[in-house]
Amino acid sequence: MTSKAAAHEPDAATLAAQQSSGATHEVPARRAAPQLGDDHVTVRTQSVADADAVVSIRDLSLWYGSFKALHGVTLNIPRNQVTALIGASGCGKSTLLRTVNRMNDLVPDVSVTGEVEYDGVQLYGADVDPVEVRRRIGMVFQKANPFPKSVYENVAFGPRLTGFKGDMDALVERALRSAALWEEVSDKLRQSGLGLSGGQQQRLCIARALATEPSVLLMDEPTSALDPMATDKIERLIDELKRDYTVVIVTHNMQQAGRVSDRTAFMHLGRLVEEGPTDQIFFNPKHEMTERYVSGHFG
Amino acid sequence: MRHGPLKLAAAETARERLVSFVLAACAAITILTTIAVVFVLARETLAFFLDPAVTLWGFLTDRTWTPLFATKTFGIAPLLAGTFLVTGTALAVGVPMGLASAIYLSEFASDRLRRRATSILEVLAGIPTVVLGYFALLFVTPLLQEIIPGLNLFNPLSAGLVMGFMILPTVSSISTDAMQAVPRSLREAAYGLGATKIDLVLRVVVPAALSGIVAAIILAMSRAVGETMIVSLAAGQRPFLTLDPRETIATMTSFIVQAATGDQPAGSLASRSLYAVAATLFTVTLLLNVISQAVVRRFRERYE
Amino acid sequence: MSERRARGRGAGSTDATDMFDAGGVNARRRARNQRWFMTVVGLPIVLAVGLLAVLLYDVITDSFSWQLVEPRNSGVSFSFSDGFRPFSTWERVVTLDLLAQGQSQDQIDAMLADPEARRVYDARNRVELMLWADGAPLRYVVSSSRDRHLEDYSLAEGIARYDELEAAVEDGQMLYLNPWLDAAFFTKNASRTATMAGLGPALLGSVMLILLVIALSVPLGVGAAIYLEEYAPDNAITRLIELNLNNLAGVPSVVYGILGLSVFVRGIGLGPVILAGALTLSLLVVPVVVIAAREAIRAVPGTLRQAAFGLGATRSQVVFKVVLPNAIAGVTTGVVLAVARALGETAPLLLVGAAAFVPRPPEGILSIFTAVPIQIYAWVSENDIEFTHVASAAIVVLLAILFVLYAFAFWLRRRFRSAT
Repeated sequence: MTSKAAAHEPDAATLAAQQSSGATHEVPARRAAPQLGDDHVTVRTQSVADADAVVSIRDLSLWYGSFKALHGVTLNIPRNQVTALIGASGCGKSTLLRTVNRMNDLVPDVSVTGEVEYDGVQLYGADVDPVEVRRRIGMVFQKANPFPKSVYENVAFGPRLTGFKGDMDALVERALRSAALWEEVSDKLRQSGLGLSGGQQQRLCIARALATEPSVLLMDEPTSALDPMATDKIERLIDELKRDYTVVIVTHNMQQAGRVSDRTAFMHLGRLVEEGPTDQIFFNPKHEMTERYVSGHFG
Repeated sequence: MRHGPLKLAAAETARERLVSFVLAACAAITILTTIAVVFVLARETLAFFLDPAVTLWGFLTDRTWTPLFATKTFGIAPLLAGTFLVTGTALAVGVPMGLASAIYLSEFASDRLRRRATSILEVLAGIPTVVLGYFALLFVTPLLQEIIPGLNLFNPLSAGLVMGFMILPTVSSISTDAMQAVPRSLREAAYGLGATKIDLVLRVVVPAALSGIVAAIILAMSRAVGETMIVSLAAGQRPFLTLDPRETIATMTSFIVQAATGDQPAGSLASRSLYAVAATLFTVTLLLNVISQAVVRRFRERYE
Repeated sequence: MSERRARGRGAGSTDATDMFDAGGVNARRRARNQRWFMTVVGLPIVLAVGLLAVLLYDVITDSFSWQLVEPRNSGVSFSFSDGFRPFSTWERVVTLDLLAQGQSQDQIDAMLADPEARRVYDARNRVELMLWADGAPLRYVVSSSRDRHLEDYSLAEGIARYDELEAAVEDGQMLYLNPWLDAAFFTKNASRTATMAGLGPALLGSVMLILLVIALSVPLGVGAAIYLEEYAPDNAITRLIELNLNNLAGVPSVVYGILGLSVFVRGIGLGPVILAGALTLSLLVVPVVVIAAREAIRAVPGTLRQAAFGLGATRSQVVFKVVLPNAIAGVTTGVVLAVARALGETAPLLLVGAAAFVPRPPEGILSIFTAVPIQIYAWVSENDIEFTHVASAAIVVLLAILFVLYAFAFWLRRRFRSAT
């Protein structure tokens, strides 16, 4: 695992100085969050070239009824890297994630403008079947949700949908190995997926998503319900997964974003404020709001 | 206000105890009911089997049941066969329809439509069975006789058909509850993997709700076995061992009615045969109910 | 770049062009499949509604029939205005008919003044308002138990073939459309003759039964529910009681009848009387009341109880002054539904010995009795087509009563839901 910088701690030097002087830790002053206008242009560092992007989001806006949840987001997701979406609650990061596999279609009264391009295809084009989109782009959810079926059947579910006729046993094993779960369940394949621990269940969900051989894996706060040890296992797994897959991960845990991702996109109230290499976002944020978020002034 | 010592007045304590006792007695009466049922059935059934004309072996294996005739035989098989014919038909009709209805109400219907349809099904369940028996005998049977050659006026097919509609609401409501209990996260997972709605229903929701559905079916079976008026009016009161649904037969329940409305002196063997059949009926329905409840309990923790 | 990509068609396909759904064919096919699926699973509900509709239609139309009879009375029908007198229509029509038969006014007055003669006359004759007789609507006829019934046609058939049937009416015959469900139907007794049969004693029997059942089962059921929800400790005995209640709810009603037969009719020696029937039905209905009452009591928020206890109320005061009043809507709904159930129960009453042919209305709780569903059963069992009309009429009455009860219960439930 390549070394990642720890997330930017508010004034570490000052903290040390204060502690040695016996002063109490100073809580960052609470100031009103600055507003972003409609004219805001995303601040980008070392932008991803279109040629390197596996998913290209262009000027994407989304409404839930009359509420505008995403404001003209433009973002390239680079191939074989981990991109993190961070921001305060309600900033639209999960919504943005779900536009990539058209999961938002399932919510009533949703309307979308703009484009999401995947491997040369406009995902929101008239000719595209959302069901097929979801079979090619995998998703892992916040709380592990394995089906009340056996481990084997959970992993085999996706392929069975498309009538897969090949060697299912081999496919299941491959998926479970990719999710770093095979060793632990190889003798329990026929037992219920619900009998596994929380961390194992989430890896099972990852294996289930990988079984359909997507090239992009979307992860919506995948470790927020897990203990530190299970979280660590999954973070290591993500690091391996990016060799073969492109990962987009939504997280409200800044330290995790720092540990796990190559690029980070910071969102606020539906707008993409800034995006760039993770190190840069955390140590040298260019936009004032980014700086205030990563230093803990709000969130 | 001036208060006395911190003890409840004797009169009030007595009243509290009395109330508590009376209420407990009410609850106890329900236990008494069961004890009474078991006692009554057991006593007469025992007397039935102690009679020299009756043997347990004969009861189980004889192929005719004629306790009300001059020459008495006591094989319960014809009644069981009749009950089986009617119940089987009812389940074959009512279970698929009830399941389909549950799928529709749980997965496709809007809230308003679901409430309305549930009310309609509740009304269907509330129709007195004697009215359903009228319908089976006077409307369904003549209709079926046009289509099916050799269909007797009294037959288990018509009764079973109508009974299927009687159990439809039971199967539907319990299955709907089971399906609606399937958590949203499971549905999201399925959609995320690219499942269509039909995939979701048939591959995720129904399998996940299976224990509730099975419990519903067992309960419906129990209701069908114990049903009396539809069979008495439309299926017949002629004990006859057959598996042909066009023949006139008798079920356990229709025999009980026949024996009770005849003039059998109490304590006679013929009268006791009524109790023996009732005991069999009671045992069967009790078993089914217990199994149904066990199925529900055993799979209740499935989603956690 | 991973070698995985080069493998070709695997479990999923990373070939993005496969997502292309030219002309939306795939999506349309899916939508069509889904529509077809939705239709198939929605069908049973439609069928169920259809069954209800057909049943209602059948029962209502069957309570009318065209009859061709050879009347024993005057054979004359009287117009509505001639016959109708508020509070004395019966006397008026009888008078008209007897006059038409040639009796003198004095003879008629003498007969009407004598209660015994009236009773005999009433037992053998029936004033009916026919829908169509002698070619005109709404005419009074006095039918006799000794009329010769020649033909019976269904409502639809008679309407379709009316001209033909009317032309075939000979002298000394009458053709009329008989509404079997008329005012007299509610007061007449059961009878061997269909035209004389009525629901009188059965209605009275059912009413008395229901009142007794309410009086017995509501205190018992609500009491048990209160005990289980407010007093019972969480131990094995309580669980046993609950388990037992669930099982009782699933016992076939005919077994309750056997219980009633053994314990109340024979054991205690009441005989086949109303009280025995009521006791039996109460036992049947109690589990239903308990389950409904428990749900209603459980719905009362715990904060109300806390407040009452906090003010120093004893447990019984909390229950009867706070919990029950708040649960009353739910409890009432449960009772109404239980009553509706008890009204339609036939098997237990048959077992207890409800007679189908009761000569006069019940006099008290210790008289033999009949009830509406028992009459229906008896009339359907008769091998006479005319009795099916009577049965249909009785069913219409029963369903109408149940409809009112259910409507009331649903209204209560909706108010109960919106209040919580």
